[in-house]
Amino acid sequence: MTDPIESRLPYEDELGFCNISMVALGGDGANSLGKMLFDIAVMVMNLDGGYDAAYGSEKKGTPTSVSIKLCEVGRKVREVGPTKAPHILVVFREHLLESMVLNRGLQKKATVIVNTLKTPEEIRERLRLHSGKIICFDATDIATRTKSRINIPLFAVLAHTLGFPDDMMIAAIEKSWPRAKVQNLAAYQMAASETRFQNFPADGRYPLVPYDHHLTGAIGWDNQNEGSYIENTEYLNMRSTKPMRAGQIPIFKLEPCINCVKCFFTCPDPGSIVYRDGQMIGIDYDFCKGCLRCVTVCPETKKGHALVTVKESDYAALVTENPVRHTPEPVGAVRV
Amino acid sequence: MALVRELSIGEQRTIVASGNQAAAEAIAQIGYDLQGFYPITPSSDVGEEIAAKIARGEADMIFVPATSELAAISVCTGAAAAGARCVDVTSSQGLLLKFEELPVLSGIRLPMVMNIAARAISAPLNIKCDHSDFLQTLGTGWLTLIARNVQEVYDMNLIALKWAERVNLPCFVVYDGFFTSHGTRRIEIFSDKATVQNWIGPQPERATLLDIKHPKTFGPYMNEDLINNRYQLRLAMREAQDVLPDMLEDFSELSGRRYQTVELYDMEDKPDVAMFLLASAADAAEDAIDKLRKEGQKVGLIAPRVIRPFPSEEIAAAFDGVKVAIIGERADQFGGPGGFMTNEIATVLQAKGIPTKLYTRVYGLGGIEFTHLEARDLFEQGLAAHRGEPVETNTYYGHWKGTLEQEPPHRFEPEPSESLFINRDMPEKINIKTLQALASDMPLRVCHPQSCPGCGIFTNLEIFFHGIDGPIVLLFNTGCGMVVTTGFPNTSFRIPYMHNLFHNGASTASGVVETYLRMRKKGIIDEEITIICVGGDGSGDIGLDQIIGAAIRNHPFIYLEYDNNVYANTGAQFCYTAPKGFATPTSPGGKNFHHKDMIELLRGTHAKYIATFAETHVEDALKKARKAQATVRAGNFAFLKCFSACPLNWQSPDDSGPAIVDAAVDSCFFPLVEIENGKTTLNYDPEKPGRKIPVVGIYERLGKMGSHLRGPEHEKELAELQAEVDRRWARLKAMHESPYL
Repeated sequence: MTDPIESRLPYEDELGFCNISMVALGGDGANSLGKMLFDIAVMVMNLDGGYDAAYGSEKKGTPTSVSIKLCEVGRKVREVGPTKAPHILVVFREHLLESMVLNRGLQKKATVIVNTLKTPEEIRERLRLHSGKIICFDATDIATRTKSRINIPLFAVLAHTLGFPDDMMIAAIEKSWPRAKVQNLAAYQMAASETRFQNFPADGRYPLVPYDHHLTGAIGWDNQNEGSYIENTEYLNMRSTKPMRAGQIPIFKLEPCINCVKCFFTCPDPGSIVYRDGQMIGIDYDFCKGCLRCVTVCPETKKGHALVTVKESDYAALVTENPVRHTPEPVGAVRV
Repeated sequence: MALVRELSIGEQRTIVASGNQAAAEAIAQIGYDLQGFYPITPSSDVGEEIAAKIARGEADMIFVPATSELAAISVCTGAAAAGARCVDVTSSQGLLLKFEELPVLSGIRLPMVMNIAARAISAPLNIKCDHSDFLQTLGTGWLTLIARNVQEVYDMNLIALKWAERVNLPCFVVYDGFFTSHGTRRIEIFSDKATVQNWIGPQPERATLLDIKHPKTFGPYMNEDLINNRYQLRLAMREAQDVLPDMLEDFSELSGRRYQTVELYDMEDKPDVAMFLLASAADAAEDAIDKLRKEGQKVGLIAPRVIRPFPSEEIAAAFDGVKVAIIGERADQFGGPGGFMTNEIATVLQAKGIPTKLYTRVYGLGGIEFTHLEARDLFEQGLAAHRGEPVETNTYYGHWKGTLEQEPPHRFEPEPSESLFINRDMPEKINIKTLQALASDMPLRVCHPQSCPGCGIFTNLEIFFHGIDGPIVLLFNTGCGMVVTTGFPNTSFRIPYMHNLFHNGASTASGVVETYLRMRKKGIIDEEITIICVGGDGSGDIGLDQIIGAAIRNHPFIYLEYDNNVYANTGAQFCYTAPKGFATPTSPGGKNFHHKDMIELLRGTHAKYIATFAETHVEDALKKARKAQATVRAGNFAFLKCFSACPLNWQSPDDSGPAIVDAAVDSCFFPLVEIENGKTTLNYDPEKPGRKIPVVGIYERLGKMGSHLRGPEHEKELAELQAEVDRRWARLKAMHESPYL
């Protein structure tokens, strides 16, 4: 690159790219946000780059990541797939800080935007951030208050980080969701005033964790069964489906229950509603996905409903204790 | 031979597009007559974009969502023979299913274009990128263009049709699944479709089937003369080779984008190490070369634009003078001497006496990424070979040995068979006590699927399995139910389970059943096993013939279909079971034919037991599960079908399943019925007071997917659907009342 290109972006790597990574759950709107942002970057800001996602057979509620790489026109856009070295990280759900290794590849002096009630200090510890700026705010609350979705306030904070002008963003929101325009604009405007941020210098507290492109795992060509069959007794799926919940859970009250079995037979997650000796005994919160079908079919008796919907955060102890857990905790051989 | 035409640079505009969208833009601008279509990840969006463009009036084309990939390409064969310009798109198994039609198109010399979003082939099932699909087609007589990135997907689509029609051969445009098909980039397209259409030119004259004045016979029976058909095909490939450079030059004058039959990068100085790569990996390698060159390493890239016909002369010229070359193969030709591309390069080099040492590396299988980091690793291996260090000639890159240090934990002990006979000791009439006992005592067969919240599949399966005593062996067709229950190395099954491809489950079950019966007869197996094959509604489209075959053969197993009216696993394209008017990505203006009636199709097989059930009628469902098992125990085939909620694709709340299923039953759209030995019984009468609702009741409960059929502006469509539902219900009632039907 003999002819230097002046970049308007807040970051630039050796190939001239500003890399953004967003982690979310399927259904959070990270994909539509990423697509919209990239569209604005190209069509309005006259930038180049790529919008990619970690594609799989995602279902609603499974972790997903979205990548946007931006550069000035004139750079060679050659790499496929999501960025391996983000400058900006957007975390839609706080628990993804633990379930995904998010500091891997994260660059120094990164900007991290997190939907959380926690402080930037707490997030830094959980993320093990080398250095940079952490911006925290409660996008979920803003979305609830404005009847919008969490992707809109996160979009606002990301746009500010990139230095994209508000009027462009607002025009794009109006165009993309004409029917939810008022709600989305309210959410967009509210985001700026509710952020808390802190800068963390490279104080040696956490090292930079480089991205390693070499795959490895517990099971490889030497010990994989011929033809990849699975021993069911050893590898029964114990991965908790807790993260798929959207914030609400059913709780079970013994007194109104008439053991009508309606909840048991409507539950789409076998094993989550537990019956013993002909009686309903409760819900296994390791595997309940919070769809609330059981609440919908639960009949009203003289003592009310046996199953009711509550906010999960109000029942954190119950979920952790999970008294009817019928299976061991997930352990062992998952791919590292 | 220079093309004599006035060309000026065509006006272009910037758009943001994925590879699939770029293909769709090209298809729409070219103005094909017809697109044959069957969804398969990751190529499906091409069809969806075209369907949307037709609905918006932006494309004037016929769009035919067929019942399988083979059906889709056969629609194209017919249309092409009749004189249409046709296009198709596919990936992976879709391409393999089309396979038998590929040499038909080339053998009859019908030009068409097929986009391939390259993806790994089964088994095990993997939906991500490698080249094991399209490399199998090298001997089918199709021209094959490679697009490295999104821009090239658009450009190659324009070149493909012009080239195909020039020599009357069909042409593939290959691009990497997900990496390019879904990767979204800034690209340039021609502002005016007239620019595209003028460049491609009018359809050349050729023999067609609809020429009544000059009747012709296509696809004759042929004996020894066949060899001459094949030699003609070889000559056509040679002509294709001759005309391509000028056509690429011609295109570069129009677009300003220069393409060569073989693209070279930093090859001028005959580098120490060259790498040969196809598709998106070639772009990534250029980033690695830039870095390595800065470090003083002499490396370069050879990336063919076209692999059929294989550009032998240009390949020879590129390799001539290069000492070491790494040949990247994104597919293994298991047991072959080199690899798909290595073999061809070696043949070319041998003929020319070029002594380049070739090192084959099988890389990036099943969606493993190939970026400048991986490219650098491979260049390092080449540089080591160049220094004379020992380097393996032909091996894999990126596989791993496994580091499992201890035995995996023992999760469960399989249930003893005797604990699985809960229904046997219960009264025939199912009451609340039965339900409570089943809920408490029947062990789970499937647990912890990674399905979407509120998905109806496992609700239905669990209800059904609670009515089945004893050991079960399960077979699943490809579909959501399959994808969410196994993610290697984990499984959700506590019982023996096998997945086979989308349409093959029923026949696979036949094979299992025959073997089971043989082993029982020989005394090798002494336990009674119930074999159940599970498929979604899509399996009943693509695999209808195999289900009907198993039913007519009366193989004693249960086939269970869960139906949510859409191909949920590939993005909610309509299923043939969906009602007329249903708006989906492949029917944005509303599906234009009435819903398939699986029960009536099965009736014609005279299977002993055919029934529908619904999750909101648990006792009825359990009773039918018991009857189904009794049927197979008596040596007969049983077909069961349930209406299954899909909140994700119906865009309805997670807890909406029961209400929507009830609406389907109460509106008579999904009647609860059983046909025992040909005798029809309605198990539930929605016409009893206070129950029956109009069909619109389903759409009122459905989310966005039903919104198009709500409200007064759609009265006409709804009335037509209502009339069809009423007509079918009246027929069923008449059969219910007749002692013979």
